[in-house]
Amino acid sequence: MPTTARRYLLRKALSVVLTIFLIVSLNFILFHVLPGDPTRVLLPKGGGSTNVTGGQQLREALLSEWGLDRPIHEQFVIYLQHMFQGDLGTSITYRIGQPVTSIIAPRLLNTIVLVGIATILSIVIGTKLGQIAGWRRGQPSDLAITMVSLVAYSIPTFWLGLILMFVFSLALSIFPSGQLDLSADPITIAQQLALPVTTFVVESFALYTMIMRNSLTDVLTEDYMVTARAKGLSTKRQLRDHAYPNARLPMITVIAFNIGWILSGAIAVEVIFRIQGLGLLTYDAVRARDFPLLSAAFLVATIGVVVANAIADVLYVYLDPRVTEA
Amino acid sequence: MATVDAGSVQTTSGRGREWEIWKGRALLYLLRLWEIFRKLLRSRVGFTGLFIVVGFILLAAAAPFFAGPHPNSREAFRDTPLLAPSLTHFLGTDWQGRDLFALVVYGSQVSLIVGLAASFVSIVVGTAVGLVGGYYGRIVDQVLARATDFFLVIPWLPFVIVIAAILGPGFWTTVIAIAVVSWPSTARIVRSQVLSIKTRPFITRARAIGANDLHILRSHVVPVIAPLVFANAVLTVSVAIFTESFLSFFGLGDPTTVSWGKIIQEAYDHQVAFGGMWWYFGPPGVSVSVLVLGFSMVSYALEEILNPRLRKR
Repeated sequence: MPTTARRYLLRKALSVVLTIFLIVSLNFILFHVLPGDPTRVLLPKGGGSTNVTGGQQLREALLSEWGLDRPIHEQFVIYLQHMFQGDLGTSITYRIGQPVTSIIAPRLLNTIVLVGIATILSIVIGTKLGQIAGWRRGQPSDLAITMVSLVAYSIPTFWLGLILMFVFSLALSIFPSGQLDLSADPITIAQQLALPVTTFVVESFALYTMIMRNSLTDVLTEDYMVTARAKGLSTKRQLRDHAYPNARLPMITVIAFNIGWILSGAIAVEVIFRIQGLGLLTYDAVRARDFPLLSAAFLVATIGVVVANAIADVLYVYLDPRVTEA
Repeated sequence: MATVDAGSVQTTSGRGREWEIWKGRALLYLLRLWEIFRKLLRSRVGFTGLFIVVGFILLAAAAPFFAGPHPNSREAFRDTPLLAPSLTHFLGTDWQGRDLFALVVYGSQVSLIVGLAASFVSIVVGTAVGLVGGYYGRIVDQVLARATDFFLVIPWLPFVIVIAAILGPGFWTTVIAIAVVSWPSTARIVRSQVLSIKTRPFITRARAIGANDLHILRSHVVPVIAPLVFANAVLTVSVAIFTESFLSFFGLGDPTTVSWGKIIQEAYDHQVAFGGMWWYFGPPGVSVSVLVLGFSMVSYALEEILNPRLRKR
């Protein structure tokens, strides 16, 4: 590996570490500095007042256990120490007293399976449509694809999920509306995933269509495309060998950039189809006002996005060595 | 641009002259807006989008005319809950016996107000950050660009949810939460534009004849980026409306109003889908989709008009 590439990767790695540190800090600010007294969340009724037997003592005990009676910078250090030991806190509603990590870990797999399958399908479909639209820019097929993409993009995910569930599970009873169980046989899993994945794909393919369309439009004005045409290559070969590979490159950056957005779609899909993933956990945590759980789910999701971003960046170096020169 | 440039040479000052310059500048903006507007009307996608948006604005403004008093008000009549559509209730009634048609009509007010407010805040913040970073460069730009990238990385929906959950539901919570996640994209666009404008000869010229930074930003940079910011603002409105419906569905919307997202959430909580009541959860979802689509179409058409890169070939 050339030195420039190595230096580039090193710089990337440093930036990832810095970003994760900033995210942890942001999380601390959001959940520890802003809402005031966290015991009020834990002891909802009468917490902090003396009308509950032992309420005040319990509150003080908790304050000192969490180090909340100490100055804010010391709290931050304590928080970081816990972070490094993999202690993200204790859930206050969901299986009370359970460490948050033990609740999140099994759910992460469900989310990754759902998002993974759906994203690959979205990229395949979206890229294909974008290629057609980009090549026929301004023609009826471009307008049709653009309109379909815009419409799909505009439908709220949670509502689309409801409609699909209503039509296919209840009215036509084609797909079961049972919970996703990854230990079941493949056919059952496919049936359980069909509707959630469809919802997800409808919501997210438009992004790839638009990126591919615009990227291809750019590429088609390049000099090497004129050369390809001058060499007398067929339209198909011009596109397949010269235009598409170059148009796909910026897509990787944009996809990496949108991983957070992609993950966001999972929340609604999981809530509607009751898939036990990170999104449904977020929903349940919000509904139950379980801030430690919410905080941990947010942290895991955000760090996951940063790491995925970094992987995409590294991948890019191998696909297009020019980036390290910049 | 002749009248605007004259302002930089401060030969004859005085109130009258200042006023003339401001008038000229305002006229210039209006002319450019009018030009863009005419092109927008000529594009099929833009016209359709504009038609949808204007339609919803009229619906929201004349809600009492279409749907009578607000279903939550004391004057509104409450019927038996969960009625099917009829001539008295075009879309039936909800779980509290409120007229669903009226709820959907009034829901347009919430979506538009939240969408416009959130978009306004995010555009102001994003433009300011992008302008300052791009124009001053060096360490200021480094810090602001890093901050922008950092906020862009955070998955927006979980972030919105977390902010709303911490601040507690309410109108301003919704606005702030949406603004916090959407300013970075504006900042990025503005910054890259400013970086390219900065190197143009007219900026150097303005500086050579003694114009200060504020003057250059106001008279030479902002007018050039304004149309793009505007196109971005339109897109932000659609994202904001989308996000508002989502927050409401999550039970994190403004509890004092009834938005489309909240109607769907209540329908979901009362499991009306299982009763086959499509008229309950159908119309509010269609409304969100169509309004978001309207803004997206306008924004798409604006970008085709304003982005010269997309025009060539």
